[in-house]
Amino acid sequence: MKILIVEDEPKTGDYLRLGLREAGYAVEWLANGVDGLHQALEGDHDLIILDVMLPGMSGWQILKGLRAQGRQMPVLLLTAKDHVDDRVKGLDLGADDYLVKPFSFSELLARVRTLLRRGRSGMEPTTLQVADLELDLLRRRATRAGKRIDLTAKEFGLLELLMRRAGEVLPRSLIASHVWDVNFDSDTNVIEVAMRRLRAKVDDGFECRLLQTVRGMGYVLEVPEPP
Amino acid sequence: MIRRLTLTTRLTFLYTLVSASVLLGLGVLVAWSTHLHFVELDRDYLQDKAHLIQKMVNETPNAAELSDKLNELLDGHYGLFIQIKRGNEQLFGSSSISFPTELAAGSGTAQPVDWADGGRQLRGMSTVLSTAQVPDRLASSVERIRLTIALDTQHHNHFMQVLRQQLAIYVVVATLLSGLLGWWAARSGLAPLRIMKERALRVTAHKLDQRMPIEAVPVEMAELANSLNTMLERLELDFAKLMDFSSDLAHELRTPISNLLTQTQVSLSQRRDPDTYRDILASNAEELQRLARMVSDMLFLAKTDHGIELPNRESIALEAEVASLLDFYDAVAEEKVVCLRVVGTGTVAGDRLMIRRAISNLLSNALRHSRPRSEIEVTINSLKNGTALCITNTGDAIAAIDLPRLFDRFYRVDKARTHPSSDGAGLGLAITKAIMLAHDGSVSVTSTAGTTQFCLRFPRQH
Repeated sequence: MKILIVEDEPKTGDYLRLGLREAGYAVEWLANGVDGLHQALEGDHDLIILDVMLPGMSGWQILKGLRAQGRQMPVLLLTAKDHVDDRVKGLDLGADDYLVKPFSFSELLARVRTLLRRGRSGMEPTTLQVADLELDLLRRRATRAGKRIDLTAKEFGLLELLMRRAGEVLPRSLIASHVWDVNFDSDTNVIEVAMRRLRAKVDDGFECRLLQTVRGMGYVLEVPEPP
Repeated sequence: MIRRLTLTTRLTFLYTLVSASVLLGLGVLVAWSTHLHFVELDRDYLQDKAHLIQKMVNETPNAAELSDKLNELLDGHYGLFIQIKRGNEQLFGSSSISFPTELAAGSGTAQPVDWADGGRQLRGMSTVLSTAQVPDRLASSVERIRLTIALDTQHHNHFMQVLRQQLAIYVVVATLLSGLLGWWAARSGLAPLRIMKERALRVTAHKLDQRMPIEAVPVEMAELANSLNTMLERLELDFAKLMDFSSDLAHELRTPISNLLTQTQVSLSQRRDPDTYRDILASNAEELQRLARMVSDMLFLAKTDHGIELPNRESIALEAEVASLLDFYDAVAEEKVVCLRVVGTGTVAGDRLMIRRAISNLLSNALRHSRPRSEIEVTINSLKNGTALCITNTGDAIAAIDLPRLFDRFYRVDKARTHPSSDGAGLGLAITKAIMLAHDGSVSVTSTAGTTQFCLRFPRQH
């Protein structure tokens, strides 16, 4: 998957490139708007990340230019300004998502994955499986090594999210908004507690611990690498 | 152009104009009346003399005697001229002047005629003498005898001239004087405005404590002064808020930033093993996330502080929102063995995300300060004048002195307490208050013996 980043702030650009490369994407980074638009029209990128404030040509204009030429690849806007109007303007111009600086990298990565997954939904699976953990979406049942796990509705939703995106580090904000529809930061450690309780049900008594905390980033469900 | 003139100039101009026209009118009236009065006087005098001559004619038997008498009369009255004619024959006449011909048409009751002759200003009239008892010499023919009589009006004219001059001088001087008076009146009347202007000039961002004088100005301006003072008070308050806000911000950011800096530099001072680096970076990330959240909360507050337009307004069933939030906090409540309950229903209009946030802040606050094995109860009441949502918990008592200040930014009851990173920066309640204000509602708190109740009040929907 190829990603184009148009961002004039060198540190931000550099780290985004590094982070996305390590997440397994091919990344191209440009620092000014005019080159950005040219490259976006010429290249075959699967996703474009645009900073709104750019020298030469703003992110808005690049986005307009792209959509005017009928290029439909997903676009993620980054901005330091957080006005409702800006957000609406961005989405009106055909942006697919919108992140306000400062954002956490795990949040950005989660959004990038969501955008790239879009339009590639094949058959909707009825069961999810990671190692010996199974989730039956029709019967709403979870089993580990064939043993039934008793989950509340929200715990089931939380586990479903983690399993659908197994291997991805999910930030707390994304979990809160997906599972509880809470789209603002709560100053309570709700997610930590919920994860702790889920872990007790899913991992306790098993050698292989699937639910992992990545400090400063979020949570991930995956088979741990052997140390 | 006239708009650019000062108020004083305009008032003075107006005042001068009014007095000038009044005075001028008065002057013209006086001069005209005097003139008319003189004409009347002259007519009476001339008629009087005509009667006298008629009497002489009647009583004097012969012409020579009559001529003597007439000369005598002329000697005794300076500036009187007489001409007696029968047809074109002059019987008696003052030779020094000539009479205009149009006088001969006069009948005696008509208005006198004015003319000038030989440097004299004359006013005269003419009448036909009755010849019933005229001496035979005069009445020797059937032709009528006409008497023309004139008066030198130089004296009157001189008087009128002087009067006109004096009137003109008076009008000019009086107009100038009233102009001056008008200017003075306008200026002293507008003096309070100048004082206000000087006060206003002294107002700067650092000196917003200036106020307009209210007692010293007339009633009409007192209202203006009052509104200006109210404006200044609001500005002063807002400015103080702004100053507090920025100093709070700087102060609150200083600690986490200096922690980050110190920790990072200490870690860099030596080579360490990867796991230690990971730990340090993770802890930095947590600290930075807190900072980022604080900044976005501060921005949210700055935007809502003065009441913003709600992004979107919809009808919200409070009990459903509370239920979903209780669901969210459920795990934490179970850990603390705190029971969450919601009672009642109510529908309000507003921005769903904002209202959820306001309630969520109160809930997380209640959870944080609840005693284990206690209960948090959310009650929703639809009242006459709106909807109230109250959250009651049992736990830490809050001192009465702290209650009103709980909603201030960064206010913490326990100053010395170190805050775990899960705690907010002390902005939660301030945000709740700002959200309620944006919805024209209010938030209040009561606390007695460890039972604390926060109430959100929403206005009635229309």
